Amino acid sequence: MANSSIEAVHRKTRLRLLFTGAHLLLYFSFTLNWTPWGAVLRNQLGTTQVTGSLLMFVFLVCIFIVLETVFLVISQRSEQ
Amino acid sequence: MNRRTVWCGVFGSLLLLSPGLLLAAGSLDGTEGQQAINPTAITMFLLFVAFTLYITWWASKATTTSSTFYNAGGQISGAQNGLAIAGDFMSAASFLGITGLMYVGGFDGLILSLGAFGAWPVLMFLFAKRVRNLGSFTFIDVISQRLDRDPIRLVTAFSTILIVIMYLIAQMVGAGKLIQLLFGLPYEVALLLVSGLVLAYVAFGGMLATTWVQIIKAGLLLTGVTLIAILLLADSGFSLSSLLGKATANHPKGAAILSAGVIFDDPVQILTIQISMLFGTVGLPHILMRLFTVPDMRQAKLSAYYASLFIGYFYIALLILGFGSIAYVAGAPEFFDANGKLIGGSNMAAIHVATAMGGDILTGFMSAVCFATILAVVAGLTLSGAAAISHDVYAEVLKKGKPNPATELRLTRISVFLIGLAAVLLGIAFQEENIAFIATIPMVVSASVTFPILFLSLFWGGFTTRGAIVGAGVGLVSSIILIVLGPQVWVSVLGHDKAWFPYDYPALFTMPLSVMVMVWVSQSDRSARAVVDRDNYEKLLVRSEFGPSAVPAVDG
Repeated sequence: MANSSIEAVHRKTRLRLLFTGAHLLLYFSFTLNWTPWGAVLRNQLGTTQVTGSLLMFVFLVCIFIVLETVFLVISQRSEQ
Repeated sequence: MNRRTVWCGVFGSLLLLSPGLLLAAGSLDGTEGQQAINPTAITMFLLFVAFTLYITWWASKATTTSSTFYNAGGQISGAQNGLAIAGDFMSAASFLGITGLMYVGGFDGLILSLGAFGAWPVLMFLFAKRVRNLGSFTFIDVISQRLDRDPIRLVTAFSTILIVIMYLIAQMVGAGKLIQLLFGLPYEVALLLVSGLVLAYVAFGGMLATTWVQIIKAGLLLTGVTLIAILLLADSGFSLSSLLGKATANHPKGAAILSAGVIFDDPVQILTIQISMLFGTVGLPHILMRLFTVPDMRQAKLSAYYASLFIGYFYIALLILGFGSIAYVAGAPEFFDANGKLIGGSNMAAIHVATAMGGDILTGFMSAVCFATILAVVAGLTLSGAAAISHDVYAEVLKKGKPNPATELRLTRISVFLIGLAAVLLGIAFQEENIAFIATIPMVVSASVTFPILFLSLFWGGFTTRGAIVGAGVGLVSSIILIVLGPQVWVSVLGHDKAWFPYDYPALFTMPLSVMVMVWVSQSDRSARAVVDRDNYEKLLVRSEFGPSAVPAVDG
């Protein structure tokens, strides 16, 4: 097995695990809503009814998609 | 709203959420009720059936080999497959269950949305490309290229069939009751109708017909939720804040529904749900099987990406529907019976909000979409179960990878028929039972057995067949034991006062246990087979990233 191939695979594996780790960190941060550390998320934004918790939900959905987009772009570039 | 009603709603929704896990709302919160017969719903449903049967007839002409049967010949595009995956996943269950849970407890219901959505990025980052490059028809093809093919195929085929059967029981019981509720059909007739249509789709049209049924259904569901969300926002002056204000004014908990804590108060419970939802979904065999329907690894990654886009959009729309249901259903007497209970229970809140916004036409449309969704999900499950029997067990284990193609295709169709028959019989047998625990099993087993085996096969060079088998056994047995000792069986089914184990979804404990056992047994494995398993890793890695042409595939 060529060492360059293996090294390329390991590089891609590190990228995969990096993105997965970042994703899981963000994903499990949602639990903060049910802990005292997430109390600030209960506050409403200005005069609106939108709370930090609701904003966090929408933000996480969007950021997951952004993460996927970035991952897709990086992996496509590395394949070219 | 008493505490029991809230918890029944919670667990009902948890079960409803999983792709294919569908329990009728009425039976969950003790408020049986039935919608009046809606001619629009029946007309729309008949149109859907007629169109999908036409597609099945068209697909049957192309479904002449095992390959076209299992993976539609690998010719589905990434965007189409993404929509089909979304169609498989954004079930009526999600639509009804999450909206229902938000109707009960507001923000807390969103844990299910995020839990389910979180699986898709993981599928894309870790598995989409590698699984597509290594497999042919099922995820078991992937791991058997490295580990000892016969034992590992048997173990994983067993877990696949267990997951599929448990899903099907929950699905069929839920489908029967939901259809009874929405269309007024007798329970047994509903089961026969679902099973008959699914048999037609799968047995004749295989993966091609199943894919298009899922695509059409996803399109209809996305159209429906978009329409309701727009109507809700339009009625609130296109102000989300105004909609939320109406919801808090209508809910007994007031502004508390806009943040966490109305239903759940234990962060560990939240973690158990998150782990089960994420890793359970990633390991579902019928979801992984969809990765083989595209022509190459790039399209596989695009499939997962498009699926995320559609599913993410769907869950954000559900946020509007959930709070909209509180704003427009909670205070409207026409949706409550004489005893002041919501007609059909909280999981019918989604249908009621459709009625509030779009009258009979939108109600009929969404009811028909719910029925279509059940068909799409059962079709995916049936196909996955049939592939485990005919491809993984018959063709690969019994015939050592050299089956007679015609015999294999015939056996697949027989398997489809037998699974359909079993689904109807088990659906009738479990009609009056508390099946909540049965519906829990697939997600926990998938997270504790399928996911660890697939992950370690692809990402750890020290993994061995013995480690996989012992760890899978520990994962399976511990999952079943903790589910039995948990509230759903120990308290709800067996009638004890207090559960030995406090959580319904034990994957937070069983998945790490399974992984630890796999690692420990693999590390201490000094067998000759272990050497082969470890040696196979580098070849598998290169093939997984650069495609089968980089290194010829050899079964483990």
